[in-house]
Amino acid sequence: MLELRLVQGSLLKKVLESIKDLVTDANFDCSATGFSLQAMDSSHVALVALLLRSEGFEHYRCDRSISMGMNLGNMSKMLKCAGNDDIITIKADDGSDTVTFMFESPTQDKISDFEMKLMDIDSEHLGIPEAEYHAIVRMPSAEFARICKDLSGIGDTVVISVTKEGVKFSTRGDIGTANIVCRQNTTVDKPEEATIIEMNEPVSLTFALRYMNSFTKASPLSNTVTISLSSELPVVVEYKIAEMGYIRFYLAPKIEEDEDETKPQV
Amino acid sequence: MAQIETQGILQDIETLVSDQLQVVSYKWLSRNYLVSSNDAKRLLQEFVENHGNGLEVVYALSGQLKSNPLSYNVRLVSGPQLAEAKEEFDGNCSIGVYSVQPCIPKDPATIWNAEFVQAEELHMQAPTVENCLRDNRFCGILNSFVMRNVEGTPMSTAAPQLKTKLAAGTSKTNLDHQDIAIPKQQQNKGEQTSPKAGLQAPNVIKDVKSESNGIGVAHQPNKAPADKEKVAPLPTNKKKIQSDKSSSASGGSLANLWGRASVKSKSNLTAENNNLIPNHAGASAEAQICAGEAVPGVSSDDDDQDVNFKRASNSEITRKRRVVFDFSDEDECEDAVNLASPEYPKGKSCQELKESSNTLVPYKTNLNFDEQVEDKPEVKEEISVEGESNQPCREDSTVVSKVTNAGIILTAKTDSSVPEKDANKMDKLANAAKTQRDAGIILTEKTHSSVPDKDANKMDKPANVAKKQSCVTEKDVNKLDKPTNATSRSPQRRKVLKTRIDERGREVTEVIWEGKETESKKADSSTTLKADSCTTEKADKAVTSATNRPPAAQKSVANSAPKNQTAKAGGKKGVNKDPKQGNILSFFKKV
Repeated sequence: MLELRLVQGSLLKKVLESIKDLVTDANFDCSATGFSLQAMDSSHVALVALLLRSEGFEHYRCDRSISMGMNLGNMSKMLKCAGNDDIITIKADDGSDTVTFMFESPTQDKISDFEMKLMDIDSEHLGIPEAEYHAIVRMPSAEFARICKDLSGIGDTVVISVTKEGVKFSTRGDIGTANIVCRQNTTVDKPEEATIIEMNEPVSLTFALRYMNSFTKASPLSNTVTISLSSELPVVVEYKIAEMGYIRFYLAPKIEEDEDETKPQV
Repeated sequence: MAQIETQGILQDIETLVSDQLQVVSYKWLSRNYLVSSNDAKRLLQEFVENHGNGLEVVYALSGQLKSNPLSYNVRLVSGPQLAEAKEEFDGNCSIGVYSVQPCIPKDPATIWNAEFVQAEELHMQAPTVENCLRDNRFCGILNSFVMRNVEGTPMSTAAPQLKTKLAAGTSKTNLDHQDIAIPKQQQNKGEQTSPKAGLQAPNVIKDVKSESNGIGVAHQPNKAPADKEKVAPLPTNKKKIQSDKSSSASGGSLANLWGRASVKSKSNLTAENNNLIPNHAGASAEAQICAGEAVPGVSSDDDDQDVNFKRASNSEITRKRRVVFDFSDEDECEDAVNLASPEYPKGKSCQELKESSNTLVPYKTNLNFDEQVEDKPEVKEEISVEGESNQPCREDSTVVSKVTNAGIILTAKTDSSVPEKDANKMDKLANAAKTQRDAGIILTEKTHSSVPDKDANKMDKPANVAKKQSCVTEKDVNKLDKPTNATSRSPQRRKVLKTRIDERGREVTEVIWEGKETESKKADSSTTLKADSCTTEKADKAVTSATNRPPAAQKSVANSAPKNQTAKAGGKKGVNKDPKQGNILSFFKKV
């Protein structure tokens, strides 16, 4: 028996919106500790890890760990039927092949039930080791999204370089090049607007902007984004979900052999 | 020397020394006013006697030193030290005023500045110009046997040498007197004079001019200024000229490059047109006459081409890869055509082509009708079966696809090629039209050649011929569609032009370029042909219109298809294909 009551239903809607384009099908793993998801994109280049801790739910009951395979597109369709202020309750019975989403309007005068079929998904769960990252950049998520969006209009890949000077996003395309440097800036009125760079050693990695842009769809979940970079490791783009958990995107870097060929080869 | 002149010169000297604060040495005076050095010395002496107060005078003492009677010594001494210096000389020494100046300069090199600048200017004069320095006319030592030959180089060279010797002599003499100072002076001369020269020269000139004009000095002084004027400007002018030359040379090189490019395109185009036209025209006419039903063969060609095109479109993403593929192999003739194609003026060419091609066209149009009509149904069948955008309208679609592909490629290239396009445009439209015809013809020929091979098994030879013709007709159809493409062509041309065109542009080696260009060329040729066919085929409007529609649709399809492919390439799968893209699985192990 599974029953998760999430008062802030819009949160789940945003989560789905942020990952449904990256991952089509995924297993939601429910355990006593929380509601989590780990999935790779179809090309196995990016990985998304979602965690909604049990504490974040108004009511969390999970008798035993359960993995529910869902088509995220379908799930998103159902969640779109929920109002932004609705309370969402996820229910599933043991051994059932369906999951039920229940939406309650804030005034309790409207209650919707959506039952969605589950699917068996052979998912490869990856162990993600804890790692020390060479550089961790925390910046406003909107700013990061803007950068990725802007750069994607110019090039296909972004080189993220963290130095003492700041973090530099640069790209190169047929029409030219672009460089965006964000310096550490902690003197802001609101802490979420700060750009904080923790650097142990300089790092520079190249990533496909397509994925970065996909990651930034999680921007509504958090005002800030944390980008953790380490050479030899995938970048981690993390959006914290207030008081509940996080959604992390891992993206394998592109191998920089020949700088001239930044474009994907056909 | 006339008294007036002397007076004028003395006044000049006074002005120079008191107002301009210039060091006036006898050498400078001699050269500047074209008086002999002895006269100059006398003038200075007179000047000192008259205006001695408030001036500093440097005397040149020459003679044997008491301490070192063996060597002849020349020493420059300031006025107060004159008596003392005299004592050092053995017996009689010649004493002359070397220079007058407002004050004894701290840097002895200043004494040489004016005359150094002067000498430099004189040396800078054109080798043919005779000046006082070259002919050494004011030298105190005269030898009647020495011929003054202005044009002779030896003279000019000799003069400077003399001068240098003199300078060296003076410096040596100085050494005795001012041991420490001398090296500095020499160094200073080299270093300081040059920069100062530029500054002082104009001043001097101005002074001279003003003096001569205002005072109404005698003839010689006037001459001198005139000379000086000439002299002074000359060097600067020369320098400017040189710089101009250099700049012009560099600019010229650039211009040459650009000019070449344009010239090449033009010349190539014309040459190509000229060359190509006769050959292909006959061929095309024949091909057209032979019209038959070679549709299948054509379609097969198209398919192949389509494949190629797809590649090309993908390759387009990265400029480097453009140069791909199979088409080039098909027909060498196409290459030649391609050369011509670059010129095609796009929309304009069609009408022109019509005119020029009218004779040829009628045949084509007729043939085209039959063929097209027949072909279309087949095409439809193919479409239904294959479902591929390119193949469906076999002729049209294939053509279209070609065109679209070519167009796409072209677009990628277009940016760079634009200037060339203009140049090409500027080239004779008639030529372009001709080239278009040629291209079209060539294409037909190409198609013939290519088709037979593929279809040889299926079709009898006549059938092959028919196929060829059908290809031609297709081309015509394509032409109609292509006008838009024609613009896009230019980019491809560009590459072609570069390699192909000789500097003169006259001789275009037709076969030179291969790969994408050929494809583009094909497209171009086809487009041009289409244009022709359109104009000529007015009677066939119904057919053409029908054909036109499908092509457009096909074009869109073809365009969309490649785009989609590219997008896909950019997409997940594309990323997967990207060898550089790392895999997340290589970092995280499965649990």
